[in-house]
Amino acid sequence: MPDKSVKVICPSCGAENLTGTLFCVQCGIYLPFGGPLRTEPLPEQGQGQRPTATDRRTDTQEGKALSLEMEILDTGRKVWLSAEREILVGRLDAAHGIFPELDLGVDGGLEHGVSRRQARIYTKDGVCLLEDLDSTNGTFLNGERLTPYLPYTLHNEDVLTFGTMRLKIYIYTSK
Amino acid sequence: MGAFDPEKDYYAALGVPVEASEEEIKVAYRDLARRYHPDSGGDAERFRQIQEAYEILRDPTLHRAYDRQRESRGLSQESPLVIGLTLNRTNMQPLEVPQMLYVLVDIRPRVDLPSQRLPLNLALVIDRSTSMQGVRMENVKLAALDLVESLLPGDRLSLVAFSDRAEVIASGLSVSDKRALRSAISALMPGGGTEICRGLTAGLDELRRYVSDQYLNHLILLTDGRTYGDEEQSLSEVRRAGAQKIGISALGIGEDWNDLFLDALARQGGGICQYIRSPSQVRQLLRDQIRGLSAVVARQVRLVINPAPNVKIQAAFRAAPYMEYLTLENGTTLKLGNMGVDEPIALILDLVVQQPEPGERRLARLELEAATANDTAVTLQLRRDLAMTFSYSAQDEPVPGRLLNMLSRLSIFRLQERAWELAESGDVQQATNMLQAAATRLFDLGYKELAQVALTEVGRLSAGGAPTSEGRKRVRYGTRSLTSPV
Repeated sequence: MPDKSVKVICPSCGAENLTGTLFCVQCGIYLPFGGPLRTEPLPEQGQGQRPTATDRRTDTQEGKALSLEMEILDTGRKVWLSAEREILVGRLDAAHGIFPELDLGVDGGLEHGVSRRQARIYTKDGVCLLEDLDSTNGTFLNGERLTPYLPYTLHNEDVLTFGTMRLKIYIYTSK
Repeated sequence: MGAFDPEKDYYAALGVPVEASEEEIKVAYRDLARRYHPDSGGDAERFRQIQEAYEILRDPTLHRAYDRQRESRGLSQESPLVIGLTLNRTNMQPLEVPQMLYVLVDIRPRVDLPSQRLPLNLALVIDRSTSMQGVRMENVKLAALDLVESLLPGDRLSLVAFSDRAEVIASGLSVSDKRALRSAISALMPGGGTEICRGLTAGLDELRRYVSDQYLNHLILLTDGRTYGDEEQSLSEVRRAGAQKIGISALGIGEDWNDLFLDALARQGGGICQYIRSPSQVRQLLRDQIRGLSAVVARQVRLVINPAPNVKIQAAFRAAPYMEYLTLENGTTLKLGNMGVDEPIALILDLVVQQPEPGERRLARLELEAATANDTAVTLQLRRDLAMTFSYSAQDEPVPGRLLNMLSRLSIFRLQERAWELAESGDVQQATNMLQAAATRLFDLGYKELAQVALTEVGRLSAGGAPTSEGRKRVRYGTRSLTSPV
């Protein structure tokens, strides 16, 4: 059992925090990790979490996932995106400073219940990940609803649903 | 899969209240499934019922449909509002030392409640000081004209223009006086200083002429500048208005207005303060504010928290749709204003637990009170207990994802708010450290542009200069909306 002393000393800035504090009050680092919380941790197995697929086609494992092709199934529109940067999926709203790399407003995003900040796609350690940003109508991966803010691994030809708008993702690695 | 029986009580099957959050349902299922699994000698039929209940309750779409069917059969409970509770842990050790505990409180309508478009008793208080000349005033006029067009029969609109003095240019006019309203707006001419309290008082006086429970009574202040010496008086005017159920919101245009002051006004008034960076945004943001007032599901929402003697509420925050510090009135009550349709309220409570006894303990009793949208005489009341199991064998648990992410963003919000406070009070070193920390955390989470703005201000501070008004506003208003579901 870890030693629970009176206060938790932050390993980064030395500030005193009460036992059980998650983010240092002085510098904001995630105390249980002792370092930056870039991607929030996945829950332990058996909590009803979507299984990380071993039964799927694995196309992306070795090389870095570099480009994505998103096919909007209702309109047939195809969009090429580089997975080198984070991709915000949503609807353009210049007034609020929201500029999604994948703007679904043009495809009828509003009518399909797509939030302005719906979800994000990013790459980490060569794996392509999808994260719902607590959108109003939810983000679904192959029909299963994502828990907000948790990363889910994307595989080639997965079907992503934002609100009621369905897209298919094609992941291309460098040769 | 997906077929449910509304006659069955799935809540009872999992032993959870109707208002249970996703997390609570998950935890309850996990415990029961373990206990009743046939492989560990449990009853197969009971296990199947648990499975069926969980399958429906864990899926938001099925859950909603199930609730709706139960309601239409008269099987559901009364309360149209529900409280969901998510804690960062379900078991804690009964330590001698004080321990932090984080609670996410979700307040939302249980099923799709119809929202009410209540008649509005509205006062628009417009700054017409010299600096409003040009593009700013043009856009404000257009925004005000939009507002006039959106009025419905039964609404009342008062217009106050202020600079050194305040002028009432329209008093409680209705839809049938659109022409008078339009000409009053068109006649606005910028010139003079900025005496916000005068404008505020005049606007409140107008509202009070027509104030009644059948209206949604609200004042919107539009300003681009600073007032001097009358901040305290303004705040007490707003406080007084609050006692009469008049709400206040603010829109600050450009860089020169005092964001700490306008935030305080709006917070005191139960409304929102928004930053308008460019005059072209005035129309949209005023429209948004009116829309927020026009689709109300519950009014005067308050959460009363009664903690156990060994539990202290160290801090309380609104977490969504935007973050803000909340103050506990009388040490127990959080005033949350109106709840708009599509705008459920999320709060985060920082609790400190001292020397608990082992066992299942109640940490606090929560009581939610609200007035129904259409009849403020009808009060909704809902009670939930916050409980914790204290055991020497308690292990560390993974923090529920949504809570963790909100706390992560809340931490950044708090760091930068504290930094600005310190900068104002002259502690430049500490202010720099905290703002730097906030910037680093923003980079960590991928908010590069916002992080850059914060870093630029850090640079100014550490070079012995002052932060820019624009920088501070961009960081403050940018960070508070990191949790916006949008």
